Amino acid sequence: MRLLSLVPLLLIERCLNDLLALDDASDERLQSLQGKRLRVELEELGQPLTAAVHGRQVVLSSADTDAVDCTIRTRLAVLPELQDTANITRLIKADALDIDGDIMLAQQFSQLFLQLDIDWETQLAQRIGDVPAHWLGSVFKRSQSWLKQQTKDQQQWLQEVLVEEKRVLVGKTEFDIVKTQLQELRARIDRLERRWREQESS
Amino acid sequence: MTDKASDTIDFGYKKVAKNAKQGLVADVFHSVAGKYDVMNDVMSFGIHRLWKRYTIDCSGVRAGQKVLDIAGGTGDLTEQFSRRVGPQGEVVLADINNSMLSVGRDRLRNRGIVGNVSYVQANAEELPFADDTFDIITIAFGLRNVTDKSKALASMLRVLKPGGRLLVLEFSKPTHEMLNQAYDFYSFNVLPKMGQLIAGDADSYQYLAESIRMHPDQDTLKGMMEAVGFEQVSYDNLTGGIVALHRGYKF
Repeated sequence: MRLLSLVPLLLIERCLNDLLALDDASDERLQSLQGKRLRVELEELGQPLTAAVHGRQVVLSSADTDAVDCTIRTRLAVLPELQDTANITRLIKADALDIDGDIMLAQQFSQLFLQLDIDWETQLAQRIGDVPAHWLGSVFKRSQSWLKQQTKDQQQWLQEVLVEEKRVLVGKTEFDIVKTQLQELRARIDRLERRWREQESS
Repeated sequence: MTDKASDTIDFGYKKVAKNAKQGLVADVFHSVAGKYDVMNDVMSFGIHRLWKRYTIDCSGVRAGQKVLDIAGGTGDLTEQFSRRVGPQGEVVLADINNSMLSVGRDRLRNRGIVGNVSYVQANAEELPFADDTFDIITIAFGLRNVTDKSKALASMLRVLKPGGRLLVLEFSKPTHEMLNQAYDFYSFNVLPKMGQLIAGDADSYQYLAESIRMHPDQDTLKGMMEAVGFEQVSYDNLTGGIVALHRGYKF
């Protein structure tokens, strides 16, 4: 059993390191984590998972029981909530999270992967050649801008239907005119009120 | 050579003179050195990589430490240790066998593992290092071939720093009877034939199977480690006890 759980771990470790190697900026982020060790104990997993940075690689282990810089004990479902630091105090109070050590370290580890910025076209070019990679890249870009245009057109159409045809909502200009008229009316009332009070008192 | 029982030692199932075993083991490894890695993968179905990785995970290795990999052979463990101790650390790959050492050296250099690795041809019974030198000592699939195991363990204890740990990865005794029988069949019928086919050397693999059977089982080895002075000795059975990882500390 000990060995079987190693297999998925080694595959994940391989994938993570391959991803990190694709972004040149990873080196800098790895440098600040050099020699640091983070342990995550998830209720669902049963065994603790230790992540450490050695050189330019992240190493995962389930057998490692030596001291670490930060330990996080929690449930799988809580993990996404940790993205926002504001949640941490609340989660600890609710007994859903237990942190031992340097919390910044955990965030640095997650930033390592969240800040990945991979130039896919260059990577693709190295594998399938410049011309097909450029073609795929431009197809992707074109489809993206087409999608953006389509969304914009749809929004425009919906707006016109609601404002011009069905007259459910008012347009921005119409709203602005009414707003200005209202403000002027308010000002006139104020002036009238003041004059009336002045005459009353005299 | 003499016939007195006290002067002989097992070489596989054969009894040989104590001073002859070292040479005979050397012949086995001279013979298989070139095909050693391929054979390991074929014979263990690649599982030896997991055994070794588990050993590394249990070693607690950190940047800047000094590691001794005894009987390191073709350098599987050394390679991973080298990455983990970083430029400030040091890994010494020691093997008694010159052929294995040069295969290991070439392989590691080809993979760009240089700088923090040194190579020493050394006998595990008389390690040529000062007292209290290493943070971690590993011996993976090597203790079996050592003539005087207690002497070798004592020598390792001597060169280990206080607080350091020894990891012994070695074939052991399967814990289930069914597995034991299947394993016996595999070792004595399949293994030598595969050795013949791939490395062109059936005798060496016959020796491998026999030497595994003659090697002390989990608790005996644990007792031997405690007897020479290791503390907090424990072991993990891997793959049903076909292999066991023993851990001991020096305080």
